[in-house]
Amino acid sequence: MKRTRFFQIFAAGLFAVAALPVLAADEELPKAEKVIDRFIEATGGRKAYEKHHSEVASLTMEFPGKGIKATGIRYTDTSNNSLETFTIEGIGKVDSGVQNGVAWESNVITGARVMTGSEKADRLRAANFNAPLHWRELWKSAETTALETVDGEECYLVVMTAAEGKPETNYYSKVTGLLVKQKRVVASPMGELPIEILAKDYREFDGIKMPTKLTQIAAGNEIQITVDNVKYNTLISADRYEPPADIKKLLAK
Amino acid sequence: MRFLVVLTLLSLSVPAAELTPSQRKLNADSFEYAWKTIQDKMWEPMPAGLDWQKVHDELLPKVQEAKTMAEARGVMRDMISRLHMTHFSIVPSDIYDTVGAKARGDGAPGFEVRVLDGAAVVTRVDEGSPAAQAGVKAGWQIVSIDGKPLEDGLKRVAAAYEKSTTRELILARGVLASLSGAEGEKIKVEFLDGNDGRVPLELKLTAPRGGETKFGYLPMQHVYFEQKKIGNTGYIHFNMFLDPQRISSQFGDAVQSCFKCDGIIIDLRGNPGGLGGMSMGMAGWFISSTDKRLGVMKMKGQNLDFRVFPKPDVYGGPVVMLTDGLTGSTSEIFEGGMKDLGRAHIIGTRSAGAALPSMFEKLPNGDGFQYAIANYISEGGQPLEGIGVIPDEEVKLTRKALLAGHDPAVDAARAWIQKQKDKR
Repeated sequence: MKRTRFFQIFAAGLFAVAALPVLAADEELPKAEKVIDRFIEATGGRKAYEKHHSEVASLTMEFPGKGIKATGIRYTDTSNNSLETFTIEGIGKVDSGVQNGVAWESNVITGARVMTGSEKADRLRAANFNAPLHWRELWKSAETTALETVDGEECYLVVMTAAEGKPETNYYSKVTGLLVKQKRVVASPMGELPIEILAKDYREFDGIKMPTKLTQIAAGNEIQITVDNVKYNTLISADRYEPPADIKKLLAK
Repeated sequence: MRFLVVLTLLSLSVPAAELTPSQRKLNADSFEYAWKTIQDKMWEPMPAGLDWQKVHDELLPKVQEAKTMAEARGVMRDMISRLHMTHFSIVPSDIYDTVGAKARGDGAPGFEVRVLDGAAVVTRVDEGSPAAQAGVKAGWQIVSIDGKPLEDGLKRVAAAYEKSTTRELILARGVLASLSGAEGEKIKVEFLDGNDGRVPLELKLTAPRGGETKFGYLPMQHVYFEQKKIGNTGYIHFNMFLDPQRISSQFGDAVQSCFKCDGIIIDLRGNPGGLGGMSMGMAGWFISSTDKRLGVMKMKGQNLDFRVFPKPDVYGGPVVMLTDGLTGSTSEIFEGGMKDLGRAHIIGTRSAGAALPSMFEKLPNGDGFQYAIANYISEGGQPLEGIGVIPDEEVKLTRKALLAGHDPAVDAARAWIQKQKDKR
């Protein structure tokens, strides 16, 4: 729920990280909604979010030690449609998107497919524009469960549970209110993949603070993501969200 | 990969320099990194049943005391050789950097080789290559390279790898390594022609067939794709599962152009693999069910299903896949899964049994480090590592058949497809 948009973008990546020591909390934990509301305020506030009706984000990805790089762009707007298009050096294009409640992927390696089940549910949540404002609609429940440190920073753990799919845990800084880590299980046709995402270097883009350095770890593989730019309120044509021909053919079957 | 072998041999001629303290430290760091990576990534609690800590404690001092890079590398290779698994290797930094930048020493005379009944035999000659221009034909036997006879060496290697599924692979790569060199160099090869007459030739080495492909820290590779029709049977052959933008697309086009064919032959002989995921996409051209998988990759604390991703339109006719001892990794995943799902008839000889998914990284000392991250179990329940894909129909390539212009495996594939057509 209260992940930033970028956490949603990279949710399907491949990663995992070191477990951190649990601190004994000798104080009463704040309610989840309070932590989430604080996150919204810390990243710019409800009004700043509501000023925007579209978002185009560009980023670069690197697989440390493996010499693999990729670039990507994500388009999304208040229609709750989205398109993510990545170009991986030596591989080619991997596109995915949501259009009118259909979630799809067109992958140069594995081909085209339409998402189902909890994978689809996850992608639809991720496509929700200004998702932090809509967490009550997107998640069945949210509960603050503990206080832990992440890189020396005390964080509230908020467990978000959806109607479909496994719960995810968000780590919000006690001091800044920002989201600094997320642990979740990504559903995919190949099986469930536990991932951890660390977020750093928050930067403001048109009134909204975004993490610009993300580290995702899953199955021992690490990806470093840098958010290069975010543009709001640019005109995104509805055609942008049209799935490719192969997806349309699969849907017609 | 053959240029790696060539360059390894070349590097042996460089005088060994004594290491500085900082180089020794980098070697120790590299050892620690490789050791820990294996400990962390190995899917079994004890790598290959070994007391891994004991291996560390025994070998680390040897790396620290090593006087030369070759010595340090030798200790690291000793560590990984104890696993008795494919897809673990240490590649010297000079080779790693050289081939990574631009494949020097990657020149080839333009033909493929297999070791058949103890003899190195040309199995395919690239059109327009120096070998083709010099008149080399499939079925010719290689007697010597640069004046060095092959026979004894082949016997020794064959004996050393007698029980290994990778024997055919090692033998062929050894010969190909001897045939390689820098582009533009010339190499002296003596052949036996179809009448067993000696034919000495000087062949110029040129870039291998196919387009250059670079992926991460993997050395530059040359990847080619070919398709043709033999009667009303489609024939597809490509040498590696890389460059998916091109190869997966050409594969799809080839299958779609053959939807009305009596059958399709997918020739993966000599294909050492590449990107595992490509097999899932390619299998989707032949399987329409969304609940099928080729097998499962077992990683530490995690299993990943190699799902088949069906295409909107699927080819429903007979599929034959050709295999030999040089068919490895992703090729085996593809063939093994298609066989286990009853979707392909496998013809040829047993594959290399070298199917561990692996990663390639650069160590602190600059050397390349390849390590397996998982075991792979084909859908039939058997691991492929050390076993390989067992063909439904064993058909061996022979020098006699090649000289007669035949490819026995392709002939058998066409016959099987005809049988299926007759049954219908």
